[in-house]
Amino acid sequence: MLTAVEIEALRLSLQVALVAVAASLPLAIGVAWLLARCEFPGKTLLDTVVHLPLVLPPVVIGYGLLVLFGTQGPVGGWLHESFGLRLIFTRWGAALAAAVMAFPLMVRAIRLALEAIDRGLESAARTLGASRLDVFFTVTLPLMLPGIVSGGIVAFAAALGDFGATITFVGNVPGETQTLSLAIYSLTQTPDGDAAAARLVLIALALAVGALYASELAARRVRLYIGRA
Amino acid sequence: MTRLRVDTRRRLGSVEHRADFDLPLAGLTALFGPSGAGKSTLVNLIAGLLRPEHGRIAVGDTVFFDAARGIDLPVHRRELGIVFQDARLFPHLSVGDNLRFGLRRAGERARAPRMPYDAVVALLGLEALLARRPHTLSGGERQRVAVGRALLAQPRLLLMDEPLASLDAPRKAEVLPYIEHLRDAFDLPILYVTHAVDEVLRLASALVLFERGTVVDAGALTEVIAHPAAAALRGGADAGVLVAGAVRDHDPRYGLTTLACEGFALRVPRVDLPPGTPVRLRVPAREVALALSPPDDVSISNRIAGRVEQVLPGPDAPASADVEVRVRVGAGTVLSAMVTRESVERLALAPGLRCWCLIKSVALHADALALARGRALRTGGDAGPAQA
Amino acid sequence: MKLPAFLLALAMIWLLAPTARASDAAPPVTVFAAASLQDALETLARRYREQTGRALRFSFASSSVLARQIEQGAPAAIFASADERWMDHLQERGLLAAGTRASLLGNRLVLVVPAARALNLDLTPGFDFAAVLGSDGRWVTGDPSHVPVGRYAQQALTTLGAWPLAQTRLVRAENVRVALAFVERGEASAGIVYETDARASTRVRVAGVFPADSHAPISYPFAVLARHDSAAARDFLRFLSSDAAREVWRGHGFGVR
Repeated sequence: MLTAVEIEALRLSLQVALVAVAASLPLAIGVAWLLARCEFPGKTLLDTVVHLPLVLPPVVIGYGLLVLFGTQGPVGGWLHESFGLRLIFTRWGAALAAAVMAFPLMVRAIRLALEAIDRGLESAARTLGASRLDVFFTVTLPLMLPGIVSGGIVAFAAALGDFGATITFVGNVPGETQTLSLAIYSLTQTPDGDAAAARLVLIALALAVGALYASELAARRVRLYIGRA
Repeated sequence: MTRLRVDTRRRLGSVEHRADFDLPLAGLTALFGPSGAGKSTLVNLIAGLLRPEHGRIAVGDTVFFDAARGIDLPVHRRELGIVFQDARLFPHLSVGDNLRFGLRRAGERARAPRMPYDAVVALLGLEALLARRPHTLSGGERQRVAVGRALLAQPRLLLMDEPLASLDAPRKAEVLPYIEHLRDAFDLPILYVTHAVDEVLRLASALVLFERGTVVDAGALTEVIAHPAAAALRGGADAGVLVAGAVRDHDPRYGLTTLACEGFALRVPRVDLPPGTPVRLRVPAREVALALSPPDDVSISNRIAGRVEQVLPGPDAPASADVEVRVRVGAGTVLSAMVTRESVERLALAPGLRCWCLIKSVALHADALALARGRALRTGGDAGPAQA
Repeated sequence: MKLPAFLLALAMIWLLAPTARASDAAPPVTVFAAASLQDALETLARRYREQTGRALRFSFASSSVLARQIEQGAPAAIFASADERWMDHLQERGLLAAGTRASLLGNRLVLVVPAARALNLDLTPGFDFAAVLGSDGRWVTGDPSHVPVGRYAQQALTTLGAWPLAQTRLVRAENVRVALAFVERGEASAGIVYETDARASTRVRVAGVFPADSHAPISYPFAVLARHDSAAARDFLRFLSSDAAREVWRGHGFGVR
């Protein structure tokens, strides 16, 4: 059975990952759209920046977040002064770190889904009287759904598992930022923590496998629903 | 009478696409030409899916595009209905929802629709399909739904871009009658892009001819069909002409109907139409024989006097076994006869010669007949006989 | 061979070839040391190299992390811990070379704040820790569950009666240098580190010194590890307690026995 600390870490992990994915989903859709449909100067730059978290060491990402979003940083300072909002040492900061790390995965999946959509369908919708915005919400978005769903779930799993960026940016604060990964890390340093660490490792494994499996299933069901089976 | 005025230029790759014509919009106008000649491009230009580089497009009083004045009406405001070659049904919606997609966005026009939902569904035989998903339908069914969807958007003009091109022969035969019905049921002008001769001859009353990206002629079918670029419509295996006429009377004893054409009469197997119904008839050139004097002891019922107008190919062209002889009969109709070169030489057929066209009644069967309801062929739509 | 292929081959050879050292035939001695010893040890290593020409390899981290790595077989010759408990941990498992363990250094525990903040406290029982933190501030030190400085901090705060409040606002760092960095950045309102760390940084100031009796004595045991015992290792260990070395230790603020 799990101790209170372990349950807390699990709950926090799920909450942080959920917030991370939900909050970054609209932005991911927007960026995927830009990359898939638009041509503009700096497009390659945007593509590169979006994919940085996939290739940079997570600690570097965490450090960057610290510099930008810490209370002494340009963005974090402004947030703290204007809204009294603090990201560092809080679960919102942890969500931000997780979101940044998971973002490229989401964008990739959504972009692929977007590129697979038959543009002819969108033209047809316009000839039937739908404005561009109307077309996006009634045709494009529903057809993107499998990509959004599977991308969101994979991003959720990635957000769950983040360590380097989280610990470097928001530190290790049980109940606030001590997600599963951080808890496991702490426990492996503690003299008698091996058993507890093993339990949490199993849980983390189960969550990751479950998420990947759910992602495949969900995408398949949505594809059936929109008639692409 | 609304007119379609198009005067555009647009570069596509290495070809420049030019269109310059002014047509009354009535009935079904075919846009005909070989593949790649620019027909689909014209549809896309009129629809607004493609932007001309220069020129003007107007339907009636509404200006769709005017380069000089900077007008470019957005696609979704042009009130057009488009049927694409690949149907383009929305896979995530049921057939019913697909059909209603345009209707829901028709605003004012949907309040007292010229093409009501139930009428369209009945016309196209879609009742059984309403709850199904597009990917479960056959090709023919999908095209019918696509047509219905375009109609229900209450368009001012229906554009059909090679709607039957991706269907096999049986599927095509299944869908073609529906298009004929809708042409006759609704007072809706149709632009019909095709490279299939039989579709043109069966459906169209007006014709726009394309060749290498340019419109070379436009007007009533019976006139434009004489243009050199319309050779495909006349020559080859499908060579034939369209003859305008009306049902005169029926002969119950022999099961025949007499059609009164312009200056001559034709007897055909019985057609179930009341006398006075305007029809037009395809007379395939292969079914027309020629004689120098009217034979009485021959089984052929239709013997029509005329004068040879043209022998194709001309004397300078390479020799072929078949020759097309064009004969002017009656009040000016030109019939085509396909005969062997040997016969032409044997009978010394040459322009100016008086001859008789012999057409077997049984060759003029019902599906070579098209109903030209409400419009006359010659003018392409201004005045026509009253509805039968 | 074409030029690009030739260059590629050259690069591969350079990357994969074992590095040959000009001077010594013997491999360098690896030292695992507590994070707080970093500056002093690096200075001493330079001196040692000047004297003997021998190079050393270091790994600085929390004593807890290092001890666990050694336990798992990490190839360290010398272990310098920030508390006796982690050295005991290894001794219990028979990993120390007999007779090499000695505790030379001591340290003091201090409360630091970002340099811009002018704060001086008497760290006596019942001192107002809440005032130090402010309404939503957090303080940072090594994770008390395993990092030595965190353990000392917990002991000190418990003795002074501030632990119940402090515990709820604690950010647990992996080692004392990370804790220091958070205070230097101004993200944490305060931190508890060693006096030597505070001295090494210009961006924090010491707000108060914890009384030596509020926590277990801070002691740095050094030892050679049995699995990688060597003359070179023992020699360096001896050097670390030489008179010259003691001067360096004192210079950095360590107490020397």
